Amino acid sequence: MTFRRKLLLVFALTVALSVSAVAWLVSTMTRRAFEHTDEQRTAALLTQFQRQFAQQGDDVASRVAMIAGSEPIARMAASVNRSSSDLGGYLEMTKQFAEGYRLDFLEFVDSQGTIVASAQWPAKFGYPDSSFANFSSWDDRPAFLKQEDLEDGPALGLFAVRTTHISERPVYVIGGKRLDKSFLSALDLPADMRVLLYQNRGPKFNAEWLIDPSSASARNPRSPEKLAPLIGDILQRNQELTQIVHWTANKADDELFHAFPLRGIETGRPVLAILLVANSRRAYVDLEHSIAASALLVGGGGILIAVLLGSWAAARVTRPIEQLADAAGQVAQGNWDARVEVRGKDEVSQLAQSFNRMTTELLTQKERLVQAERVAAWRELARRLAHELKNPLFPLQLTVENLLRAKQLGSKEFDEAFRESSTTLLAEISNLKAIISRFSEFSKMPEPQLQAVHVNDVLRGVAQLFQAQFEAPGRPAIRCVLELDRSVELVAADPELLHRALSNLVLNAMDAMPQGGSLTLRTQQKDGKVSIQVSDTGSGLTQEECARIFTPYYTSKKHGTGLGLAIVQSVVSDHGGTIAVHSDPGHGATFTIELPQSRELLQNTQAGRTDRTVTSEGT
Amino acid sequence: MRRLAFLCLVISSVFAAQCALAGNRPQYGGTLHIALHEVPSSIDPTQSRNDSFAFRNITHLIFENLTTVDDAEHVLPQLATSWLSDANSQRWTFTLRSDVMFDDDTSLTADIVAASIRSANSEWRVAAERNRVVIQANIPSPNLPSVLAEAQYSIINRHSDGSLSGTGPFRIVEWQRKKLALAASENCWRGRPYLDRIEIEFGGNPHDEQLSLESGRNDLVDVPAEQVHRVSMEGQMLLSSQPIELLALLFTRDAQSDEEKASRQALAVSIERRSIRSVILQGSGELAGGILPSWMSGYGFVFPVDSNLAQARALRQQARTIPNWTISFDPSDAVARFLAERVALNARDAGLSVQPEASGKTDLRVVRIPLLNDPRMALTSVASFSGIVQPGIKSDAAGDLYAAENALLASRTIIPLFHLPVSYAYAPALKDFRLSASGAWNLADVWMETPNR
Repeated sequence: MTFRRKLLLVFALTVALSVSAVAWLVSTMTRRAFEHTDEQRTAALLTQFQRQFAQQGDDVASRVAMIAGSEPIARMAASVNRSSSDLGGYLEMTKQFAEGYRLDFLEFVDSQGTIVASAQWPAKFGYPDSSFANFSSWDDRPAFLKQEDLEDGPALGLFAVRTTHISERPVYVIGGKRLDKSFLSALDLPADMRVLLYQNRGPKFNAEWLIDPSSASARNPRSPEKLAPLIGDILQRNQELTQIVHWTANKADDELFHAFPLRGIETGRPVLAILLVANSRRAYVDLEHSIAASALLVGGGGILIAVLLGSWAAARVTRPIEQLADAAGQVAQGNWDARVEVRGKDEVSQLAQSFNRMTTELLTQKERLVQAERVAAWRELARRLAHELKNPLFPLQLTVENLLRAKQLGSKEFDEAFRESSTTLLAEISNLKAIISRFSEFSKMPEPQLQAVHVNDVLRGVAQLFQAQFEAPGRPAIRCVLELDRSVELVAADPELLHRALSNLVLNAMDAMPQGGSLTLRTQQKDGKVSIQVSDTGSGLTQEECARIFTPYYTSKKHGTGLGLAIVQSVVSDHGGTIAVHSDPGHGATFTIELPQSRELLQNTQAGRTDRTVTSEGT
Repeated sequence: MRRLAFLCLVISSVFAAQCALAGNRPQYGGTLHIALHEVPSSIDPTQSRNDSFAFRNITHLIFENLTTVDDAEHVLPQLATSWLSDANSQRWTFTLRSDVMFDDDTSLTADIVAASIRSANSEWRVAAERNRVVIQANIPSPNLPSVLAEAQYSIINRHSDGSLSGTGPFRIVEWQRKKLALAASENCWRGRPYLDRIEIEFGGNPHDEQLSLESGRNDLVDVPAEQVHRVSMEGQMLLSSQPIELLALLFTRDAQSDEEKASRQALAVSIERRSIRSVILQGSGELAGGILPSWMSGYGFVFPVDSNLAQARALRQQARTIPNWTISFDPSDAVARFLAERVALNARDAGLSVQPEASGKTDLRVVRIPLLNDPRMALTSVASFSGIVQPGIKSDAAGDLYAAENALLASRTIIPLFHLPVSYAYAPALKDFRLSASGAWNLADVWMETPNR
C-alpha cells in the first residue's frame, strides 16, 4: 500500500472514528437523559397514584364511617346479635346503602365474623368472612388494599372497616371501591405513558386479570401475554422491577415498564396486585434513529471531505517523498546525477536537500574511487609488467654479460658462448614476445559475435577437448561429470568466446586438483536465464581469494598471469551475464555463470544467421 | 212544629241509613285495573306451556270448562250439568247445560264442545250426541271430570279469523303483547258480572306495580313471595293463596348412574333452605322436601328439609369424580338468581361444583312449577313438566300419593326447595275480592266501590 493511500486511510478512519465517537457519546447522553426523565416521570406518577390511593381510601373510609353511624345500621346492630334476628330485611338495605354511598363493596359482619348481608355477593349471607380474623382497632386504620372474593372470581378493591357499637357485640361495616379502569383512568398521565394494574389472583399469568385503561391499536397491537415474564419475575423476586417489553418487531413500539408490587395487610403482606407504569420508547428510539442517521450523514460527508482533503494533503506531503524515492531508485540504477527539487523549508525539503548533498557526495566519492582504482590498476599493471619483464631480462643480462666475458677469452670461447647465448637470447626474447602477446590479447578482447547457441553443446565440446588431459598418464585422473539440463534453451552467445571462457574455468579447475578429483559441468534453466556451473573438488578458495579472483592480474597460482578469470568475466559481461564463485577452503570451488535469454536478441541473432546462411548459400 | 221536626229527623235517618247500606251493596259498573309482572305469550288455554297462575286466572275469566274443582277438591258441574261413566271409567258421557251462549252470541253446542276437547287432547275419541258429549279415553280415567276442569280443556268457540270466544263472564275486547282488555259478557249464563271492564297490564316490575297500587293507578297487583312480608308490614290489603307454587331445582337430564344420583342427593341435602327462606324469601312460603305441599298431601313433613353438610360430603365421597354442574335461571327472576348463587355456595361447601349461568344449556335449572289443586294431577303435571316417567297412582289415598311422589323424587331429577303462595295486593275500593286456596280469582263477583273512576 502506498504512503498516499495509507495517509488517506488514516484520514478516513480518523474522521469515521471521530464521528462514531461523537455519535456514541451523544447517544449515550441521550439515553441517560431519557432514563432520567423516565425515572422522574415514573416517580411522579407513582406519587400521584399513592395520593389518589390515599384520597380514595379516605373517601371510602368516610363513607363507610357514615354508614356505620347511620340510624338503620344502629338498629341492625341492636338486633343482629339476637339469636332470633331476621336477616331477611338487611339484604335490600345493604344494596341501597351501597348504591347510595356509591360503594362497590359493602358487607355487614357480626361480632362472630359472620356475614349479615353482602351487597357484592348477596348469596353469601350467613357465611363467615374469612379475611377478617381479628377485628380489633379497625376504626383507626386507613383504607387498605384487599382482594375480595366474588362469585365470578376475586376482585381488587380499596377497603375500609368501621364498627357500630350499639350493643356489647359490635357490627362491622366493610366497604370498598374497586380498583378498576376508572381508578386508573382518573390518573393524570403524561403523554406516552400509561398505567396498568395486574391483579395477582394466582401464580400463573392470566391476561384477564390485567386492568388496562388504554386500548391496543391496530398500529400498535399489544398482546398482554408479553407481560407474563415481567409479572413472573416480580412475583418471584417480590420487589420492584424495570424491564423493556417488545410489543412488536418495531423498536419504536417498545415500552419501558416499571413494576411495583402492591401488598395487602394480611399476614406476610402478600402481593395482591402489581402496578405497571409504562413509558413509551418511541421518542427515544426516534431520536436515536435521528442521531444515527445524522452520524451516518456527517460521517459519510466527513469521510468524503477527508478523502478529498487527504488526497490533496497527501499529494502535497508525498510528492517530494515520491520524488525522493524516484531519485533514490535512479541512484540505485547507477544514475548518480539524480536530483530532487527542493521546495520550502520543511522536513521533507531538508530531506531533499540532504539527498541532493548525498548524491553529490556519492558522485564525488565515486569519481575519486574510480580515479584511485585506475591508479591502482596502473600500479598493478606496472608491477606485473615489471615482474613479467624482469624474469626474462635477467637471463638476457646474464647472457650478454657471458658474451662480454667470452669476448675477452678468445674467439673460440666467444663463438661457443655466442652460440649458447644466442639460443638463450632467442628463447628469452621469444618469452618476452609471448608476454607481450598475452597482454596484447587481453587488451584486444574481440566483440562477441552472437548467435543462437546451445550451452549444453558447448559444454560437451569443452569436456571432449580436455578428455585426454583428464586421463593423461603421469598424473592423477580427473573424473568429469556432465549434469546437463535438457530443458535448457538456446542463448544468444558467441560460441568461440564462450568455449574459451569455459575452457579457462576447466583449466583452473584442473590446476586446483593436482591430486585428481571430480569435475562437474552442470546446466540449469532458471527464471529466464541459463545457469552454467563448473565445480571441482580441489583445494578451494579463501574468502579473500573469492573476492579478488576476477581482478585482472590477480592469481593464486605460482605461474599464473592473473588474466584468465578476468578474461572469463569479460566474456560473460560482454554476453550480458554474471559470474560468481562459491567456495569453502578444502572443499572445492563452484563457478556459476548466468546468461540471459533475451528473445529479441535471439530472434535478431537467428535472423542474422539465416541471412548469413542465405548469403553464404547464395555465394 | 215539633211534628215537622220529628218527620224531618225520620226522613234524614232513613236517607242516611240507605246511604250507609248503599256503600256495602254491590254496584254494577267500573273498570278494574290489574298489573301482573308475568307476560303471557297467548291467552289460548290449549297452549299448555303458558301454564301459570295469572294465565289460569285470565282464561277462567273468559272461558269455562265442563267441570270445575272447588277448594275442597270437589268436582262441580260448570258447562256440563251431569256426567256418567262406564264400569272401568274409560267412556264418559257429559250432558251439557242448555241456554248457554258464547260471548259472540253463538249457542253452546255439543259439536263445539267436542271440537274444543279434541283440540286439547288428541288421544281421546270425542263424539257429540245432541246435548251430550261422549269421551272415550285410551286408558281408564276415573278422575277425568277433574281433568276436564284444567284450563287447557276450556270450551272455546274458535273463529276463522283466529279470534276466540268463551262462555265466561268477560269477553276479549283488546289483546296486545302487554295489555289485555276485557268487557263484561252481558249474556253470561251465570249472570252479568258487576264490573264493566277489566284492563290488565303485563310485564311491570314488582316495585312499580306496588307504586301504581299506592297511587291508585291499579287496583290489583301480584306480589312476589319475597315482597309479601314488606307489603303486609306496610299495611296494604293482601291476599295469599295456600303455598301452591313449587320452587325447585330441575336437572335437565336423567341421572346416568348411582354415583350421579348420590351427587345429586348430596346437592339436595347441602342446600340451606331455612336460611334461604329467611333471607331471600323474606320468610315467605314453606320449606319443601317433597313435591306436594303439606296442606295438599298431609304428609309433606316426612321429607327432610334441613341441610346436612356431613351427609352431603359423605354422599359426595361416593362419587369418584366431582361433577361440574351449571345452573341457569330466569334472568328476570331475582329470587331465582339469588337462589342459584346460594345453591352454588352451599354446593361448594359440600365439595360440589355448581356454576350459575344466566342462560344457555345447563345441567340444572331453577324452576317455578304452578301446582294443580288436585294432588294426583299435581304429581302428574310435575312429572310431565320435569320429563320424569309418569308415576302410577293407584288412588287418591295418601299412601298411594306418597309412593308416587317418592318414586318421582327417587329419580333425583327434581330437588324441591319451597312451596310458595300466590299473593295479590289490592286497593280498598275492590270489594268482595277473594282468592281460592289454589290462587284463583273471583273477579266475576267483585265490584268497585267507586265505579265512576
